[in-house]
Amino acid sequence: MEKKFGVYICKGCGIGEAVDIEKLRKRAALKGKVSADIIKEHQVLCSPEGLEFLKNDIKEGTNTLIIGACSPRVKTNEFDFPGTITERVNLREFVAWTQEPMSSDAQSLADDYMVMGIIKAQKGDLPEPNILPDLSKTILVIGGGISGITSALEAADAGYQVVLVEKEAALGGWGAKLYKQIPREYPYEKLEEPIVFSKIKEVESNPNIKIYKSATIEKTDGQPGLLDVTIKTNGTSETIRVGAVVMAAGWKPYDASKLEHLGYGKPNVITNVQMEEMAKKGKITRPSDGKEAKKVAFIQCAGSRDPNHLPYCSSFCCATSLKQAKYVREKNSDAMAMIFYKDIRTPGQTELFYKTMQNDPGVLLTKAEVTGISDGGNGNLYVEADNTLLGEKIKVEADLVVLATGIVPATRAPQEYLDGLTEAGKKGDVAKKEYLDNTPKPEFILNLAYKQGPEIPSLEGAYGFADSGFICFQYETRRTGIYAAGCVKQPMTIADATEDAAGAALKAIQCVEHVAKGIAVHPRAWDITFPDPLMIKCTSCKRCTEECPFSAIEEDEKGTPFYKINRCRRCGTCMGACPERIVSFKDFSVDLVGSMIKSIEVDEDEFRIIVLACENDAYPALDSAAIKRIKLNPKVRIIPVRCLGSMNLVWVTDAFSKGIDGMMLLGCKYGENYQCHFIKGSELANYRFSKVKETLDKLQLESDRCQLVQVAISEYDKLPQMIEDFVARVEEIGPNPFKEL
Amino acid sequence: MAEATVIKPDLDFVKGVIASGGESLKKCYQCATCSVVCNVTPDNNPFPRKEMVWAQWGLSDKFKGNPDVWLCHQCNDCTAYCPRGAKPGEVLGAIRKQSIQQYSVPGFMSGLVNSKIFFPIIFLIPALILLAVSGFSSIPEGEIKFIKLFSVEAIQFTFTPALIFGFAIGILGLMKFWKDMKQTGGVTSGNLTGSIVETAKEFLGHSRFKDCTVSRDRFLSHFLVVYGFVFLGIATAIGVLYIDFMHVESPFSLGHPVKLFGNIGAIALLLGVLLMIANRFKNAAKVGKGSYFDWLLIFIIFTIAVSGILAEVTRLADKAVLAYPIYFVHLVFVFSLFIYLPYSKLAHIFYRATAICFAKYSGREKPLKTSN
Amino acid sequence: MAEKKKVLVIGGGFSGLTAAVETAEAGFDAVIVEKTPFLGGRVTQLNKYFPKLCPPNCGLEINFKRIKNNTDIAFHTLAEVESISGQEGNYNVTIKLNPRFINDKCVGCNACTEVCPVQMPNEFNFGMDNTKAAYITHNQAFPFKYVIDGKHCKGKSCAKCVEACKYDAINLDMKPETVNLNVGAVVLATGWDLYDVTKLDNLGAGKIKNVITNMQMERLASPNGPTSGKILRPSDGKEAKNIAFVQCAGSRDENHLPYCSYICCMASLKQATYLREQYPDSKVRIFYIDIRTPGRYEQFYWKVKEDPNVTLTKGKVAKITEDASTGDVEVTVEDVLAGRKITEKYDMVVLAAGMVPSTKASRIPGEISYTHDGFVVPSYLKKGMFAVGTLKSPVDVAKSVQDATGVAIKTIQSARRSG
Repeated sequence: MEKKFGVYICKGCGIGEAVDIEKLRKRAALKGKVSADIIKEHQVLCSPEGLEFLKNDIKEGTNTLIIGACSPRVKTNEFDFPGTITERVNLREFVAWTQEPMSSDAQSLADDYMVMGIIKAQKGDLPEPNILPDLSKTILVIGGGISGITSALEAADAGYQVVLVEKEAALGGWGAKLYKQIPREYPYEKLEEPIVFSKIKEVESNPNIKIYKSATIEKTDGQPGLLDVTIKTNGTSETIRVGAVVMAAGWKPYDASKLEHLGYGKPNVITNVQMEEMAKKGKITRPSDGKEAKKVAFIQCAGSRDPNHLPYCSSFCCATSLKQAKYVREKNSDAMAMIFYKDIRTPGQTELFYKTMQNDPGVLLTKAEVTGISDGGNGNLYVEADNTLLGEKIKVEADLVVLATGIVPATRAPQEYLDGLTEAGKKGDVAKKEYLDNTPKPEFILNLAYKQGPEIPSLEGAYGFADSGFICFQYETRRTGIYAAGCVKQPMTIADATEDAAGAALKAIQCVEHVAKGIAVHPRAWDITFPDPLMIKCTSCKRCTEECPFSAIEEDEKGTPFYKINRCRRCGTCMGACPERIVSFKDFSVDLVGSMIKSIEVDEDEFRIIVLACENDAYPALDSAAIKRIKLNPKVRIIPVRCLGSMNLVWVTDAFSKGIDGMMLLGCKYGENYQCHFIKGSELANYRFSKVKETLDKLQLESDRCQLVQVAISEYDKLPQMIEDFVARVEEIGPNPFKEL
Repeated sequence: MAEATVIKPDLDFVKGVIASGGESLKKCYQCATCSVVCNVTPDNNPFPRKEMVWAQWGLSDKFKGNPDVWLCHQCNDCTAYCPRGAKPGEVLGAIRKQSIQQYSVPGFMSGLVNSKIFFPIIFLIPALILLAVSGFSSIPEGEIKFIKLFSVEAIQFTFTPALIFGFAIGILGLMKFWKDMKQTGGVTSGNLTGSIVETAKEFLGHSRFKDCTVSRDRFLSHFLVVYGFVFLGIATAIGVLYIDFMHVESPFSLGHPVKLFGNIGAIALLLGVLLMIANRFKNAAKVGKGSYFDWLLIFIIFTIAVSGILAEVTRLADKAVLAYPIYFVHLVFVFSLFIYLPYSKLAHIFYRATAICFAKYSGREKPLKTSN
Repeated sequence: MAEKKKVLVIGGGFSGLTAAVETAEAGFDAVIVEKTPFLGGRVTQLNKYFPKLCPPNCGLEINFKRIKNNTDIAFHTLAEVESISGQEGNYNVTIKLNPRFINDKCVGCNACTEVCPVQMPNEFNFGMDNTKAAYITHNQAFPFKYVIDGKHCKGKSCAKCVEACKYDAINLDMKPETVNLNVGAVVLATGWDLYDVTKLDNLGAGKIKNVITNMQMERLASPNGPTSGKILRPSDGKEAKNIAFVQCAGSRDENHLPYCSYICCMASLKQATYLREQYPDSKVRIFYIDIRTPGRYEQFYWKVKEDPNVTLTKGKVAKITEDASTGDVEVTVEDVLAGRKITEKYDMVVLAAGMVPSTKASRIPGEISYTHDGFVVPSYLKKGMFAVGTLKSPVDVAKSVQDATGVAIKTIQSARRSG
């Protein structure tokens, strides 16, 4: 596209009163190297007249607009001109609303912002989507339990082809082993027949769903839209192409053999899973002698909520034991079901179920810390408990004990194995080999042929659950196009799992639809740009392949990186990682930002500080501070970046060698409770930042001149002061000696 | 560390409480709202929350010598605020019924008296006894004088033993109860006489009822019924004195102090019992409508009051056909009241008084709270 | 394929936004109808989310960005659904657009607020402060467009704002308008209200100044709240350093809300961290029946419990009184495990009030049946109608998101059936 520029300065919202527009025009023309004629001003650009004014220019061929007005976060509809490059320069929030009007500071700030905007527009290009050929829209669902079946049915009902892979010989998972099911709907009073059976029928008769039973995934290769999945069934392998994956691999009951302290191993101590099987068969009897059990004790949190076992709550065991207490009572009206709980957890309307189940003469409940199970003779047992509602220390006889064991996600074993491997790898090749030789390899689920490993990477503090790290976005994983559903993600009831499974199916559909249009998936689900490396200059250092949070970059046999573009989320971490600075997006590149930095006017007598701000959180926070009219330090120049992970160290060199006095990097929180929308972006920026010292040392500059700060969008009230403090620190250090050069 | 207590859940006890008017028992989820809103419970080891879980688990042992179930005056503040509809007030009532059964001799009697099935039979027996005492007399002729039906001696020889029986059994029960309380409660210190005096004062002033919130109006009804009986008792006692020692012949004239006392008592009793009934209906939504156990006593008192007054009225109106049968019914119910005293809800006069006294004696309860 | 039918989403809270955005990103048109002047719903009033303690505006910003960048999503604010008729694939919906009195020319400059002489109770802050009749709820509100409260505005007799607005954005003559939409499917996402705690006559709310609700606590702790994030008690503005949390204030109580409100345990634990972070010498005591922190939330519970200045006591508070001379609040409870009745004084008490589905008070028109508690039962809904989030049962944001994403696929199926 041949660019025809138009630069527009809005005088509304106080901009006209804050800066000398005439001076600004001259300066922008000079430094931005554009003709002063194309720099136009208007009273209110977003008004109907203002927009008409812009549209007239567009009609006359202007296709690259630099609009100096308000923040790009507002008036987005008004300034949306499809087919053009429209660069918004934030003169209102960052100048008019936060600076002393008509001060020289405000003026030079506006000058710099305008010039940076022009340069950005000059360097940028109109993007075109990258659509790969031969894309598949088939959805692969791994796991034929209630979650997987639901995902498969939902996707098929939405018009997509589905492949369902189940490890066992029959579909249904744990849901098919149940005698009865916890009610899912108001009034939550009656036990339901397991819903899974009708769903199995539906899924087996659906022409759009192809089912593989007794099957595992041997290999998953490729990228969303082009995932080649090798399915192994009864010794034979078949490779099929799918577009996206729902991973509903389910869970296992916690290994009860580890619960010896709760009596597991004694003949009349069983788990809640065994209880379902027994109830399904008929009477509730004691394994030791087959006699009908009349005093059944349920031990809640058997393994769950226990730092030595599962440090989380398994969510459904309370309702399950209440349900099983009903089994005991229904099958024998003289029998008692005693439930020993830490807390009864029947959240939401499940409370109504608790209320109903509890209202039975033979269902007895007490809060208790069960300390042990001892023999009471004749196969009977004593439940020993402290801190109960019945007394401080009690003993109750039972003829059958049911341990309400919790859940372990199917993802846990492979994740732990791989985490162990990584740890061993850090210690060297010997340790790694030793690990590989001595550690039994668990069953993998995805077997991804990806650079960064065969499974979805662990989420810190998630105990192997393939959960999303976000509250607001429940289907985030670090493997694009692979969405977790059901208990592999969080402990959940059947009712919750079916909702979740439907959601995961939708995300898979979105993914195949987006890659078909060459659009990124969440969180930049509108973005058609993509990283386009200048491979000639690549040194195969592999930093990009290691750092990409989504394992979107592979290496060929020679070790040269190449993109699996449909895995890419467009965060630009690769761009930040690349020491050769070869990764570029059409509207965002090392050179583009570098040029913006270099365009900043550095005066010998003035301090100049650059703030690189994450556009998702830090930038809106700065905007929000401006809306509150909190003054921003005038020495600061704010440049938004896609994610702080895209920060390339060369920008630091660029800035300091040019005479910039300080640089502040604003990213999101990282670590266990990260808020980075690209999961690892800000953390990688921090990792890179640790090298900034080296860079500054080389320049013989104080490392304090550069600071990385984790900031949340809600910290707008503190952010201006944080900047102020940083500027003061830099001023204390003194001007950058490079200024004089 | 302390040895663990062996807990023995008894499903039959649970079912018993449920059957005795505690059908809501199992709804309790131990939030302890009840113990907080209860104004008559001590702060240390308060009730009725713990009683609820014990009863849910059928721990009958816990109710042996338990004064707390009797400290409860069934104000039903707990029931009104109970988030689960577990009606602790009603449940404790049911447990008290069980407790009466436990302590009354013979135990099965209480079961019989308070069983719906035996409803007519329990009145039929006294009726037969009284019929026998009257010599199966037909309605006497002439001026209506109830002594024509039952001589003073006949009355004295049937009713005095009945009353003595009632009290004896009751006292037997309370002694067992006292012993159990001492065993389980563990007396720390205490001044028995002082406690008895305090208890008596409290009873006379009905001060505990004033701590009720939801059913504050129960103070008046109970007060009227109690003092109605007191007045009637006094009237009877004086009447006996007059007849036996001053040889005054019944009936007394309307202006006679005995009659005056009696009539005031009768009206108080009637008003009280009517108020009780009204309150039960008024508060039914909030606190429950009560059990058979409750209603049986109300029914007896109501019948006594109504039949007593009607007997007098019909006598004065000279309607012999009505007066004698009504008088007969009146006596049947008074007799029933006496002999069933240790078995019916009325037995609470023994146990509650004993429990309150023990609570004071053992230091379980601080000296009486001043109401307001 | 025939013209794709739109999906109507009633309610622009987090569930509704998610349902709409996810539907649109799957290639279908979505229209959001929001009753209030801004999108975002309840979560905009929260300071932080549990268990990450991250700010809700972070996720909202992304979702607003998704809306701004997607031409397939439209929204109406100040809009109420008046009627819904028809069936799947062909629902006719009448929507009443209440006047904002401010048009699209608004630039968000704040001039109208500055000159507006009318003070009114700030509903966004649950009445803890005042706002002008021309206002915006907070600085990250979306759309970033002011609004004039028609009930409080003095109208043309005043019109100071009209004079002050340089952008011709104010029109005090604006009248309600009606919009008719034909849509294929309807998503009900009208969210929840806080239980009216003044109905809990033994807990003092509404009578005792320093007894506040959990939502008021969120506002107190929010940087954009009435105290700019300082936790100060209402009676005298004193720093509230000793706080009791009363769990199940209305919830799990058949005299009030028979169900558990799901979020309150985690919310109180979270709010305990607000206080502990703000005042190092502060103390928190949480009174509960059962602590309900399902799944990995358990870890958050453990973390908060570890703090020696946070105490958790099993026992429901059933009596709250005021010390009139100091403004302190006295709480009576049975410590169930100790078997003792205790009465303690606090600077302030927070009632962990429960959730009421918005449909308890205001029904959505159009053949929808409700439970006694006002919830919608999905299987009773007509074809092509779906309910999400707290309208079905109390849930947290995470579960609402799962649910709303799941419902998005149902809308697509519906569109496919009728398309």
